[in-house]
Amino acid sequence: MGDRLAAMTRAITSPEFDAALIARHDVAGPRYTSYPTAPHFRADFDETALRGIIRASNEEPIPRALSLYVHVPFCMSPCFYCGCNRIITRDATQAERYLERLYREIELIAPLFDRDRPVRQLHFGGGTPNFLDAAQMGELVESLARHFSFSHAKDREYGIEIDPRFADGDYVRVLGELGFNRISVGIQDFDPVVQKAVNRIQSFEQTRAVLDAAHASAFRSASVDLIYGLPFQTVDGFSRTLDQVVALKPDRVAVYGYAHLPEMFKAQRQIAAADLPDAATRLALFGCAVAKLSTAGYVHVGLDHFARAGDELVQAQCAGTLQRNFQGYSTHGDCDIVGLGVSAIGRIGDSYSQNARDLIGYCAALDAGRLPVVRGLELDEDDLIRRELIGELMCQGLVDKRQFGARHRLLFDEYFVRGRQRLAPLVEDGLVLENAREIRVTSRGRLLLRIIAMCFDAYLDDAARPARYSRVI
Amino acid sequence: MQSKYPAGRLPEPPNPIADDGDETRFCGTCAFSSACIAAGYDKPELAELQCLVEHVGPFRAGEHIFRTGDPFRAIFAVRSGTVKTRMVDKEGREQVLGFYLPGEVIGLNAIYPEHFPCDAVALDTTFFCRFSFPAMSALASRVPAVQKHLFRMLSKELGTASLLAGDHSADERVAAFLTDLAGRYAARGFSATRFHLSMSRGDIANYLRLAAETVSRVLSRFRTRKLIRIEGREMELLDVGGLRKIGQALLPD
Repeated sequence: MGDRLAAMTRAITSPEFDAALIARHDVAGPRYTSYPTAPHFRADFDETALRGIIRASNEEPIPRALSLYVHVPFCMSPCFYCGCNRIITRDATQAERYLERLYREIELIAPLFDRDRPVRQLHFGGGTPNFLDAAQMGELVESLARHFSFSHAKDREYGIEIDPRFADGDYVRVLGELGFNRISVGIQDFDPVVQKAVNRIQSFEQTRAVLDAAHASAFRSASVDLIYGLPFQTVDGFSRTLDQVVALKPDRVAVYGYAHLPEMFKAQRQIAAADLPDAATRLALFGCAVAKLSTAGYVHVGLDHFARAGDELVQAQCAGTLQRNFQGYSTHGDCDIVGLGVSAIGRIGDSYSQNARDLIGYCAALDAGRLPVVRGLELDEDDLIRRELIGELMCQGLVDKRQFGARHRLLFDEYFVRGRQRLAPLVEDGLVLENAREIRVTSRGRLLLRIIAMCFDAYLDDAARPARYSRVI
Repeated sequence: MQSKYPAGRLPEPPNPIADDGDETRFCGTCAFSSACIAAGYDKPELAELQCLVEHVGPFRAGEHIFRTGDPFRAIFAVRSGTVKTRMVDKEGREQVLGFYLPGEVIGLNAIYPEHFPCDAVALDTTFFCRFSFPAMSALASRVPAVQKHLFRMLSKELGTASLLAGDHSADERVAAFLTDLAGRYAARGFSATRFHLSMSRGDIANYLRLAAETVSRVLSRFRTRKLIRIEGREMELLDVGGLRKIGQALLPD
């Protein structure tokens, strides 16, 4: 155990920034918040399948705790970089009509879960969850608490994403009273030129008011999101943003790379490709974030996520219990995830399931008394094996071949013969070390976890790698 | 995507599937093999006696092998899979009577009433040897060893009910249940410390006369005390002695 821990700790090296290397491997790739990834979910996975899976999940000797994801699809105004599933409106009655359906969904699905399964994790995402006013938010949380069994344990994680332009200190305090203890705040960039270009004008003061209120209330953890690769972004401007972010003292920082896919996301057509930073600047922007955050005492957890050295995520990583989920990284990967709301994705037992991605389809299903699930996947043995391998690579950066093989009754090198062939050039480039005992991500590879994981993705065909994923850096 | 990557997989560990017999040999776990072979009867001789040993199945999870009230014609030895027997009362409430593992025999409790007094339901994909009972009794009358074996199984069947009688705590019941299962697997040559729980927690709870959540709470407690390790339905007994001690009031010496 001591050895294993020591090995883990060694595996978690800080990233080494090598622009030339990263540029060479800058291809499109999935972020592996799920494996198999969402494009491989199947349309023949229906309500009957989901009900059967939930029933079986209740019948395990010790059923898993629950994690609820609630999707609020509305935004007051469109941020041009956004690739999320959302609806732009200022019409508050839209929220009422949506909540009506959400309550029906809760009423339909909650009784399928045995009542002794505590909700250990709750996450409100969007869209903009704070599109709902304090009263609506109170009703929604109350409905969830009435139909599910909320955990009373101290380590429960109840989180919400907040757009500080539409929230104030009072609102945040109400959220704290409702039981939320984690807050995630979108910033992207404080540079006014960039903010104008992406249609998101948000002052440092607005942001600070929300974070200060969170710190003053019951919130245990605050995280902020930044984006690099936005139009007109400069290293100077982003560097100032990072200084301001560090001054806000968040517990976690996510630094996402902007993926310009205007054919897929309509809002992005407002952004001219010519205004985007070139590849070299993009890399410099991320390099700047890595440097600034490391200096300020943040640890690179993996991919785009940074956390304070004492944060639970960093502790979980050291203990080898870190997991991937739809919000990125999590310490509670052993929950069954129930996705509520339009487009929400659930992960129950060995399955994924997704609700209708359009509001019309979502509402129509519920109005007809049906669960709004439209696609999903039951993972087979190979999927489960690969999901665990990709999870270990993304979370620990280390795979012990013998232990992994023993757990799944396989000869690692033979079973993953094709994956190891794909990995060879990455080994050559020093992103990964591979020997008879283990696969270890090096400090050079820390920023390229996605392409390392892609080697073991059975759904990616060499000839036709799908371009629908964002670039890995 | 499994079929594309079959290379590199290791064979299944010895698991509770008793399917190694053929026309001339008994399965390793057969309930009757030892009694018959000891008496000099091997399978071909049994066929001569028109003692029909017929392989039946598969039954899928949830399918009935027989129902309450069906006329009694045969007993069934489990070759692979798990079976529960149960009764359903007038209000539709189910009462689980027992679980049967490979090598064990169901239907013995129908010998006297001549119809099945309970349902038998497959819990996973299950195969059986079907022994025609008229032929079986004919054989028993000619081969004392078979008759003795039949009586032994019958009395054992009657004895198991006492595992549940009396006023015992949830911890005692669950510990006795796990110890009993482990012993039965071991008796058939399977691992006594690692097995797959094919019964749902609802069935376990019903059988032990406990609430489903109590079963889970007790298992969590045992896990915390390092008596067991459990992942999904895979069970490992880490401290068999400790469990036996907790459940001893319910267990035979």
